[in-house]
Amino acid sequence: MKLVSGATLVRAVVAAGIALSAGAATAQTKIGALYPFSGGLALLGDESFRGLELATEERNAAGGVKGQKLELVKGDAVDPNQAVGEARRLTSVDKVSVVFGTYSSSLSLAATQVTELAGVPYFELGAISDPITERGFKNLYRTNPTARDFAASMVDAIGEAIAPALGVDAKSLKVAIIHEDSLYGQTVAGYQTKRAQEKGVNVVETLPYSAKSVDLTPVILRLKSANVDVVLQTSYQNDTVLFFRQAKEQGFKPKAVMGAGGGYSLRETMEAIGAANMEGALNVDFTQYKTNAAAAPGITEFVAKYKAKYGTDPRSGHSLANYVGAKIFFDAMQASKDLSASALRESILKVDVPVGATASGWGAKFNEAGQNTRVSPFLMQWQGGELVTVFPAKAAVTKMKTGFGSN
Amino acid sequence: MDILIQLIINGIMLGSMYAIISVGLTLIFGVVRVVNFAHGELLMIGMYAVYLLCTKLGLHPYVAAIPVVGLLFLTGVLIQRFIIQPLLDADEHIQIFATVGLSTALINLALMVFGADLYSVSSPDIRTSLKIGTYNVLVGQVVMFAAAIVLVIGLHAFMHRTALGRAIRATAQNRNAALLMGVRVNQIYVISFGLGAACVGLASALVSPLFPTTPTVGTYFVLTAFVVVVLGGMRSMYGAFWGAMIIGLVDSLSAYYIAPDLKEVVYFAIFILILIFKPTGLFGFGRGTE
Repeated sequence: MKLVSGATLVRAVVAAGIALSAGAATAQTKIGALYPFSGGLALLGDESFRGLELATEERNAAGGVKGQKLELVKGDAVDPNQAVGEARRLTSVDKVSVVFGTYSSSLSLAATQVTELAGVPYFELGAISDPITERGFKNLYRTNPTARDFAASMVDAIGEAIAPALGVDAKSLKVAIIHEDSLYGQTVAGYQTKRAQEKGVNVVETLPYSAKSVDLTPVILRLKSANVDVVLQTSYQNDTVLFFRQAKEQGFKPKAVMGAGGGYSLRETMEAIGAANMEGALNVDFTQYKTNAAAAPGITEFVAKYKAKYGTDPRSGHSLANYVGAKIFFDAMQASKDLSASALRESILKVDVPVGATASGWGAKFNEAGQNTRVSPFLMQWQGGELVTVFPAKAAVTKMKTGFGSN
Repeated sequence: MDILIQLIINGIMLGSMYAIISVGLTLIFGVVRVVNFAHGELLMIGMYAVYLLCTKLGLHPYVAAIPVVGLLFLTGVLIQRFIIQPLLDADEHIQIFATVGLSTALINLALMVFGADLYSVSSPDIRTSLKIGTYNVLVGQVVMFAAAIVLVIGLHAFMHRTALGRAIRATAQNRNAALLMGVRVNQIYVISFGLGAACVGLASALVSPLFPTTPTVGTYFVLTAFVVVVLGGMRSMYGAFWGAMIIGLVDSLSAYYIAPDLKEVVYFAIFILILIFKPTGLFGFGRGTE
């Protein structure tokens, strides 16, 4: 028989010590955090996670949930396959009570199938695809607005914000819907078209294009020859940059350009286009951190906490959305009689937070499908290289400008 | 009418961008006979190199072309010597998978190093609009157009007038015969791949002021580049040039007159029709000459 070496023995003793001290600490409730932490989606996946992390630390400092500290167990969902694998691991190996996620819709659609079967509640804090909560799942809840809300906000902004700012009748504005032609663009544009019909908005062009296009000049020339006043664009980064550059080159000057989050929300897009050229571009998205605290109580404290922990300003509104969503669910977990799926469902359906009572300005009231019905994205605008909230008036930090770009 | 002319100008400019990216592939695909799926990633490497040289050292993108062409030549040589050459006698599919693997590895490497965000070279002088009457064209596009013509004529002359060029053509036509005639075939392959990659280096310096750099930027161009090369008849520089012009014009016109999301359908339909009626490509040597 081989003798146990000294080093192994030391390790065993240390391990035993750790195990003992862990046992001595207060009981913990494990919660899953399923986000893309590596790969192409990692930047905003991590940004989303930071919101959950801050909310968890805040909760633990206040005594945790039901007297137990919350312990975050990370799952790295790089793609839908891995999302499924990590959801299985979280629910069956780590035995988490609930799972939070996910930022990306395709990852959420995949992971929630696993948790639903396992009977583990899933809290979606950031994915916007409508079908996620349209599948009749009983253990799935979502705090954030969906693609339909984005589309409605964009179309409504024409009548409520743009036309008054221009001092014209909304019906006189010629509107174009342009979008990249993958699922994201198709979905948002589909809802936009429907909403525009309902509201009697004059849509003169609907142009899908590939996000991999290397040239959008033909799209711009179409818009230019149709004398379009307002452009609604659903896009990623690359096509946003191309659109702004080539619109300038072709001398296309619409009265307003509005994006559906995506490429429009990212600082790098603005930097590639140039602050002067992006000036005045409107955008509909999750609440950004430059929002009036009157409509979003707690936002200033959130930004301060974020800066203290991570040393930078929030990189996007994703952390705020996740922070607010996580807090709503922690409260529901606390109010629930236990952490079983059925008790949680009862507790979550009772949640009743009025609009304007959270740090993102959102309220919370869940329907049977688990979707929050008291959320809508705000209207923002690029001004002087910053994305600032301009509408509704209560949330605005500054006045909306008309016109766009330096051209 | 105004719009038609603007679209044609635009199509020609787009065509020169495709041409300058595709001539390199003509050398690699046409001569070395490697279906190089990592061609787009060579462009990506070049564009990041240009970005770094411009932002860190303050070079003008066109000055950055010189070191980047060198860097890409070296990259091409290394890829051929250490990845393709060991597989030269293996099945063609193995080479294809090797380049697909290389492509994936390079994209993910770029994701690790630079992240998924886009970077853009700031170059207002290159993106200045030149107004010709009511028509718009960018300085950078005109430079690209001129560079494409010079490069194509230069490479054509090199392939036909110099001993090395002849050796490259001989190798492309018949590897074994060239070997028997005393051509150092492996060396020729290494040089051809290097030259092909160097052309991409030039392309990246010209493209990056006009187009933002991302890890997947190569995938935007690579499929079109293959179409251009096959359309041009695999080994002809002039063929690649005209192939690129056709694709550029079809791209621009069909996006306006048909629909922006259907332009690929239109040019692939034309591509298929040309292959059906002229399987060797428009300027082809094709399979019959092997």
